[in-house]
Amino acid sequence: MPRWGMVIDLNKCTGCSSCVTACRMENNIPNVGVEEAQNGRAMNWMEIITEYEGEFPNIRITHIPRPCFQCDDAPCVVVCPVHATFINEDGLVGQIYNRCIGCRYCMNACPYTAKCFNYSTPEIPEAFVPLQNPEVTKRMVGVVEKCSFCHHRLAMAKDLARYEDREMAEDEYQAACVESCPTTAMTFGDLDNPDHEVHHLKHSNRAFRLEEGLGTEPKVYYLKKEDK
Amino acid sequence: MTDIRQETDYTLFRPILETEKSFYWIVATLLGIIFWAGYMYINQIIYGLGVTGLNNTVSWGFYIINFVFFIGISHAGTLISAILRLSQAEWRRPITRMAEVITAIVLLIGAVHPILDLGRPDRILNVFLFGRLQSPLLWDVTAITTYFTASTIYLYVPLIPDIALLRDKTDKYKWFYQFLSWGYIGTEKQKHILERAMTILMVMVIPIAVSVHTVISFIFSMTIQPGWHSTIFGPYFVVGAIFSGTATLLVVMIAFRKMYHFENYLKEIHFQYLGLLLLIFAILWGYFTFSEFVTGFYGNEPMEMSVILYKFTGPYAVFFWLMVVLNFIIPVVVLGFKRLKTIKGILFTSMGVIVGMWLERLIIVVPSLSNPRLPYDVHFYIPSLTEVSLFMGGIAVFCLGFIIFSKLFPLISIWEIEEGRNEGLEEAQKRLESYLPSVEQVK
Amino acid sequence: MTQKTPKWILFFQYVSLGFIWLLVLGIIVWIINLMKLSNYLHDAQNATIVISLIIIPIFITLAGVLSYVFFGLKRANREEITK
Ligand code: SF4
Ligand code: SF4
Repeated sequence: MPRWGMVIDLNKCTGCSSCVTACRMENNIPNVGVEEAQNGRAMNWMEIITEYEGEFPNIRITHIPRPCFQCDDAPCVVVCPVHATFINEDGLVGQIYNRCIGCRYCMNACPYTAKCFNYSTPEIPEAFVPLQNPEVTKRMVGVVEKCSFCHHRLAMAKDLARYEDREMAEDEYQAACVESCPTTAMTFGDLDNPDHEVHHLKHSNRAFRLEEGLGTEPKVYYLKKEDK
Repeated sequence: MTDIRQETDYTLFRPILETEKSFYWIVATLLGIIFWAGYMYINQIIYGLGVTGLNNTVSWGFYIINFVFFIGISHAGTLISAILRLSQAEWRRPITRMAEVITAIVLLIGAVHPILDLGRPDRILNVFLFGRLQSPLLWDVTAITTYFTASTIYLYVPLIPDIALLRDKTDKYKWFYQFLSWGYIGTEKQKHILERAMTILMVMVIPIAVSVHTVISFIFSMTIQPGWHSTIFGPYFVVGAIFSGTATLLVVMIAFRKMYHFENYLKEIHFQYLGLLLLIFAILWGYFTFSEFVTGFYGNEPMEMSVILYKFTGPYAVFFWLMVVLNFIIPVVVLGFKRLKTIKGILFTSMGVIVGMWLERLIIVVPSLSNPRLPYDVHFYIPSLTEVSLFMGGIAVFCLGFIIFSKLFPLISIWEIEEGRNEGLEEAQKRLESYLPSVEQVK
Repeated sequence: MTQKTPKWILFFQYVSLGFIWLLVLGIIVWIINLMKLSNYLHDAQNATIVISLIIIPIFITLAGVLSYVFFGLKRANREEITK
């Protein structure tokens, strides 16, 4: 079974936020409005964290795009009381919106704060309604949601392959953020496939994962930013 | 039927038989607060959790704090009463009933709080249909159900003789007391049965009570968040729970002593003894708090440190140091000196401890969430009117429940007082003799 | 004072005692349901079994104590009246 994962090259990332936008369009992420966003309730499955180092004129900025890391040993999964967040048959961490009771325990247990909560009934701006992605479930008020690695795309690719009676090729499945990145900072694929680029990249000596010491085994690798 | 006014312990019957005007005013006010809280909650159901002050990083707030706080208070009762009964402390007699009532009522209020906290309370049945016993939240559900059942039974069984007294001596709600008294008429055999049942219950209730609060602390300590992931949390929560529970018991005792003129039953000495217990727990609590922070401080792990500094010098410093003053410094000073240890002093300290313990729960829940591991913008958590109203509503339900209980059942166990008066002295003497070597044995 | 409890009150007393057993039964059914579920999902079977081993006997003892008190008191009452 492929172990889907991502490698993000921080050298290439310019912090342009196109992955964030692509994700919002792909996954029908609701707009919470300015006021709510100022209250800290903005919803983003993919988020860019900006790290500043150094004193003012000599600042070094690192942009870190952060999806959900789809941890192999996910701390958010073990705490869910109703099996609404779980590791699915593709090894990704799924979220069942219709079952979630909204206790927000998983949000607190995730060491990366990767989940967000629908504090009010999600609203999609009028102009965006025709652009909605029919493949992705609309969420309701009071449930937790998070990045799914565009799991619907995997399902579609699998279905197509089954329909055409062939094996699914690895590159048929790409997350929306990866496709949209203008600097090709992100690479997506099977981490266990020795022929695939992600496999090489994850063994590069710049590779690291966030909070690796926690043992959550995230499936997203970063390549360290280096000064030129 | 003889006139009930001639009864020796008429003072204890009086709240049930006579109702003053002020009672209705109090009930009306409390009902007003409860309806207001209910209105706020309906609002929350309609508009979602957006009406609270929570946000994506600090996603647990008042509701979880109050949950831990109320469940903590519930430890007063049954635990203290069971320990005092088991150790046959004679001064327990007027105290046990009130302690047990606190447990039953507060536990119910506490148990409702996680439901208030849910984003989808309409899906609560999912917990029963699709629950996973792996989640600490499910451990809570089972532990609290067990504790509630056990403590209600433990409240009820020692109440039976009093219900029988009410059935025989008063005319009010006769069928109600007849229904509840289970045909108790005070024969030797019946007394024996009750005693046996009580012993079994006491032995069961103590470990259940201790485990319940440990399980509550597991909600926090089972995650790997800095400030929560700590093995000390179990005992720390238990000590804090008994601490706040004792303080609540003292406040309740002083309030009802004043309200129903129980001065002859709740004497200075009872407060002195319970005050001593409070002092011990203040010191124990201080010790646990010290060891909780000193390990984090010494280890100097960056994540742990950011949480600790947030509490010590950051935005939560006010709450933290206020908590230390209320929970440690004031109790030790007031209860440590005989001169300050008057009933007024004890009342003041106990109220301080209740506030301080609430602050402790606040300091446990929020700072850990306000310091995520990755550098996000964190929004300071300010509770909204809804959350505060529901908290007030919880307190109002507690007061109302207590007052209604006092109108139906005696707040001080009549039969236990009687038994103490009639047989206690002799029995205590015999018991004492059995502990000590007699003169013949030594010589 | 010895007096006979009216029939209808007696009936409700039995009903209320039935409730505690209903609760115990409910808990047992619930736990068994969760065990089946955890088996089906391959998810923490051990924890489920350990918790059920603790919880079920506790509830049965509690309900047992209550029934013991109920029937004990009733029997003693009857003996006293017939004496
Ligand atoms: S990153 Fe957080 S939400 Fe995603 S799988 Fe890991 S623990 Fe769960
Ligand atoms: S918020 Fe939903 S997904 Fe998260 S732990 Fe609670 S029930 Fe599970």
